[in-house]
Amino acid sequence: MIIAERKPIGRILQMIAPFKKVAVIGCRGCVAICSAGGDREVETVAAALRLARKREGRPLETVEDTFVRQCDPEYLTPLEELRKEVEAVVSLACGVGVNLAADLYPDLKIYPGVDTSFYGANPSLGQWEEKCRGCGDCIIDFTGGLCPIARCAKNLLNGPCGGSQGGRCEIRPEVACVWHQIYERLKARGEVEKLTQIWPAKNWIPAGHGGPRERVRPDLQFNNNSKK
Amino acid sequence: MSGWKIAILCCHYTNEATAEDVADIPAQIEIRRFPCSGRIEVADILRAFENDAEAVLVAGCERGSCHNRSGSLRAEKRVEAARKILEEIGMEPERVQMAFIPRLDTGAFVAAAKDTFEKLLEISPKGETTS
Repeated sequence: MIIAERKPIGRILQMIAPFKKVAVIGCRGCVAICSAGGDREVETVAAALRLARKREGRPLETVEDTFVRQCDPEYLTPLEELRKEVEAVVSLACGVGVNLAADLYPDLKIYPGVDTSFYGANPSLGQWEEKCRGCGDCIIDFTGGLCPIARCAKNLLNGPCGGSQGGRCEIRPEVACVWHQIYERLKARGEVEKLTQIWPAKNWIPAGHGGPRERVRPDLQFNNNSKK
Repeated sequence: MSGWKIAILCCHYTNEATAEDVADIPAQIEIRRFPCSGRIEVADILRAFENDAEAVLVAGCERGSCHNRSGSLRAEKRVEAARKILEEIGMEPERVQMAFIPRLDTGAFVAAAKDTFEKLLEISPKGETTS
């Protein structure tokens, strides 16, 4: 999922300083699962903004809502009505949601309430770890399912840097050396010969060379009435 | 009476204290009970301030004796999160206090309320209100 984290309340207050009535909109997708932008966080951020503004002597009125998703146009349609009711929107969705709303409603003043951080997993409650960098050229079939781009501090492709100690990364010793883990995984799977593959310098073109990436499935584009 | 309002958000099991028990604290005391202190959200604490409380006491069961096992420990974490937000908006984090109260011990509950009032005296010695 996409992992995000609430921005400091002071930063959000700066964004909405000119307004008297704003909507705080959450998303029930990734940011709800990573506890950054779901229903609870909407309540918390809205209450914090109102409290801060009340103390400033400039009361703020908030409308709170959480959409099913903010990365699909059909789920953003409530903004059509909402924008008539409020002066601005603080979105607790990831950057994808804020971008799409800004694309679809150019006159809507929409501001991000979270920082979008990484693609991660939720190995235990209250903890999220980066597992993928979305580089567009996945080689984890050669590395036991573990990504050296996302999980090695030096993004190395051909084995460990030589600085790891006891299976721990030299940059952040609390993190396991992913190349140590890759070796252990491949050995356990009887696939250690995969390490003999020598990778040339990584081709970063699929990672975003040439601007925003796009994927098209023509078979799904029939009867497509989405706003673009 | 200082003119202050203190909100106490507490677990239903923590105590049976009434307004009379806290009557000698010179502040308006508002007690709001929850099924479990683990159900008290950060937003509940912030809303209490929004509703003119000068301090908020979150009271849950003693560690290890929570009716729902870990509700009061969860409440403690929410208190920490609320303190962080107060700090971010320029309020003293000490305005939110957490107390672990032996179950049904009204004396300990009242003592925690008094401690909260005394903490408020340290923060706003002249009885200033934030709102």
